[in-house]
Amino acid sequence: MALLKVENLSIGYRTAGGMLKAVDGVNLSLEEGRSLGLVGESGCGKTTIGMALMGLLPPNGSITGGRIVLDGVEISALDEEELRKVRWSQVAMIFQAAMNALNPVIRVSAQMTEAIRTHRPDMDEQAIMQRVEGLFNLVGLPLERLHDFPHQYSGGMKQRAIIAMALALNPKLIIADEPTTALDVIVQDQILKETKVLQEQFDIGIIFISHDISIVAEVCHDIGVMYAGQLVEAGPAQEVFFNSKHPYTRALVGSFPTLAGPKSKLTPIPGEPPNLIGAIPGCRFCDRCPKDTASCKLEPPKWQEINERHWVLCDHC
Amino acid sequence: MRKYIAKRLAQVVVILFFILTVLFVLFRLAPGDPVSRMVDPEMTPEDAQHLIEQLGLDEPIWKQYLIYLKNFASGEFGYSIHYGEPVARVIWDKLPNTILLFTTAVLLSAMVGISWGKIAAWKKGKGADIGMTIAALVTHTLFLPWLALLLVWVFAYQLDWFPITGMVSEEVFLDPDAGFWAKAVDVGYHMVLPLATLFLIHFGSYLLVMRSSMLETLKEDYIVLARAKGLSDRAIRNKHAAPNAWLPVVTSVGLSLAFSINGGALTETVFSWPGIGRELVFAVSQNDYPLAQASFLLIATVVLFSNVVVDVLYAFLDPRIRY
Amino acid sequence: MSVQQATLQSLKAGRRALWRQRLAENWRVFRGNLLGKIGLSLLVMFGLMAGLSYIPPLIDPMYHPMTGVDPLVVKSTGPSLTHWLGTDFMGRDILSQLLAGARVAFMVGVSAAFMSVVLGTAVGMTAGYLGKTTDTLLMRLADMIMVLPTLLVVLMLAALFGQLSIWMIVLMIALFRWPGVSRVIRAQTLSLKQRPFIDAARVAGASHTRIIFRHIMPNVLPLAFLYMTFRVTSAIVIEAGLAFLGFGDPGTVSWGMMLQWVWKTGHMFTAPYWLLPPGICISLITLSFYMLGRAMDEVLDPRLRDETQAG
Repeated sequence: MALLKVENLSIGYRTAGGMLKAVDGVNLSLEEGRSLGLVGESGCGKTTIGMALMGLLPPNGSITGGRIVLDGVEISALDEEELRKVRWSQVAMIFQAAMNALNPVIRVSAQMTEAIRTHRPDMDEQAIMQRVEGLFNLVGLPLERLHDFPHQYSGGMKQRAIIAMALALNPKLIIADEPTTALDVIVQDQILKETKVLQEQFDIGIIFISHDISIVAEVCHDIGVMYAGQLVEAGPAQEVFFNSKHPYTRALVGSFPTLAGPKSKLTPIPGEPPNLIGAIPGCRFCDRCPKDTASCKLEPPKWQEINERHWVLCDHC
Repeated sequence: MRKYIAKRLAQVVVILFFILTVLFVLFRLAPGDPVSRMVDPEMTPEDAQHLIEQLGLDEPIWKQYLIYLKNFASGEFGYSIHYGEPVARVIWDKLPNTILLFTTAVLLSAMVGISWGKIAAWKKGKGADIGMTIAALVTHTLFLPWLALLLVWVFAYQLDWFPITGMVSEEVFLDPDAGFWAKAVDVGYHMVLPLATLFLIHFGSYLLVMRSSMLETLKEDYIVLARAKGLSDRAIRNKHAAPNAWLPVVTSVGLSLAFSINGGALTETVFSWPGIGRELVFAVSQNDYPLAQASFLLIATVVLFSNVVVDVLYAFLDPRIRY
Repeated sequence: MSVQQATLQSLKAGRRALWRQRLAENWRVFRGNLLGKIGLSLLVMFGLMAGLSYIPPLIDPMYHPMTGVDPLVVKSTGPSLTHWLGTDFMGRDILSQLLAGARVAFMVGVSAAFMSVVLGTAVGMTAGYLGKTTDTLLMRLADMIMVLPTLLVVLMLAALFGQLSIWMIVLMIALFRWPGVSRVIRAQTLSLKQRPFIDAARVAGASHTRIIFRHIMPNVLPLAFLYMTFRVTSAIVIEAGLAFLGFGDPGTVSWGMMLQWVWKTGHMFTAPYWLLPPGICISLITLSFYMLGRAMDEVLDPRLRDETQAG
């Protein structure tokens, strides 16, 4: 049985201009110990999915259709109190360290222990402290820095602390939202490698959210490319990256410099994604698509299987 | 930290020196003869001569200035014309009364304003928030002396719950058997209305600042992380959001101290609370310049030192600041 | 007309149109703001009061707020047909005093606020633009003045120079209330200084004065304007407090002065018709300027607008 199943998930935000469909009919599935990368430009709905997996949609957002099943439990049907218990103990999240994810006025040690204390009220202080020290060793942070305040850490250290925090309760699933974006390339690379090792060591499922497809292709087993609230291409990482079919995926691959991939000229993607308020009859990418045909604008595209497990939402690929 | 405090205190000294100098110059520029303004005409000639010598009024101007600075540093402010006794004696008695009323009022309104502002932000848009915000807006724009008069009229005159003015009752303070607690209760009883006045005027601004600061804080990523950790609402609000939201409030307490001191003087005057603010108002109306000057300088000193206290408190609350 | 002139003119017209458009947009946002609407309506009411204040003395000299005395009245009386709000202890009409008080409040508030904002903007722009020692000196001075209690400072000046006239009071308030404005304007100037168009102007050979007046000032003025509404409030309150304590200009009738008369003549427990109106007026005018300021804050700072947006 899959660790995580997202079935036909739709999420909407109430806005002044009307209902904004941030996520529209997305299907995902993740096995234990596997990793899935969600890629797309900002506003495509990838972060919204991450938040929905934790039951943390903002007050004006709600799940309008479909369901999320984690380890046999339907997350999308839980009430707030039940969700609170699932958070962090089942699903943890790795935030981007540069974005103030650590509370500036609380010592790092206290921020680590409070998660454990909340979910394991039976654990005594000594055991909690031992656990935290163990986690610090695990992510390679010096123990003497445990009681520092976040501003005394470097960016990389903060990121490690956040990873350690996410591992605190042995969650089955970790959502990593742009975890290394603001770090310099060397630290970024180190942290990604270590995360991969930790993931394999503890058999954790990871959903890796990023705008950079080359990073995702390096660290994840599978990739899902999102555009304007929909999944447009999904499949094994290498397959999607080197054999991309959807014009948007191809554009994404072409718009980032890669360390591993072939040397090529960077090409920007012209145009902007469509406004998600109101109905869009045809393909959402057609305005920016080089293969645009008359029928694309009128009829929604259908999923095509390109190779084994490699699917694309396009009628002309 | 110690270095920072020392630096701030040095700044206070510089500012005080500046204020003293400006006052000295203005006093010499002002109409009227300095001697007749500083010396009580009813004094015996010997006493007057002695006072003139003590204040250095018969010396050349630069020497007068030095004597003036020296006198201020040693707490000599001359003789009050109205009371006919040393100014220092008059105002040192009044200082504790002012500090008592003022500190209690600022602390009480800050504490209530902060905790209500926290709740208002948490319940943004709900009835409690709207009610508290409107109450804060209305009370903190009320005209202070008017509010004081209204409170006296309703609670002291009509309902007769509290004394109309003053700080103590004679029957308690003249009673040799009255112990400390009896006296304290009596003062507390007299303090209710002045305190209520200052509280009503001030809590609103703290509430509004705390509310908007808290709303900003609640948008931060560490709040999302705290929620993702599955912490309870209570822990998120009190442990994660509030300690960060306090910081701008502390700054605003510091900036509004001057405003609060104005209000303190008005309150003292309406309620005949024997403090320095009332003494200043009284001295100005009685043309008692030595008393007015000393009260003003003492108030300025208190305000400046309170600002240092607020800054140190800020540094204490925000671990990112290490001087 | 040469082509160049025509282009210049069309450019100017375009800029005017843009201004109009921006003003219309701001007005639309403002109209959607409840606080702003209440504040503005209240201010219009006070403005009407100030305007009407000229009428009573024209009807009958006994309605003159300062010198008019009803010969039939020897002590404070309650509301009647001849005196809608009653009279004070000398038989002067309270309603005419109240109307005159509105005029004084506007005069004091707006002129003191205007002066302090002009001063604060000038200091803030100078400090921010010139930087270095000038900046340090000016901002230290601002810090120092900021922590002084203005009411008591003006009181002290009254002790030094005797009775202050209303314009002297206005000037004093302005002189001691600019630091808050100058800090904000300085910060704004500092951030403007980093923008490319200032560099462009400098490279194009514009002088410091030209850069300050042509490029920086138009961008800080909306902010200065916003601060003016808050300064109006504090100026009115300081003048009222001073008058209440008995140090107002004896030649004017302000609301604070009226309260002083009620209080000093011992009518506060017996004459609610006299105690209530001036206090309500001071509190309400303060509230309305405050609400107007909050509303303008939201108009000028889009971040404060309460609009639900996608996450």
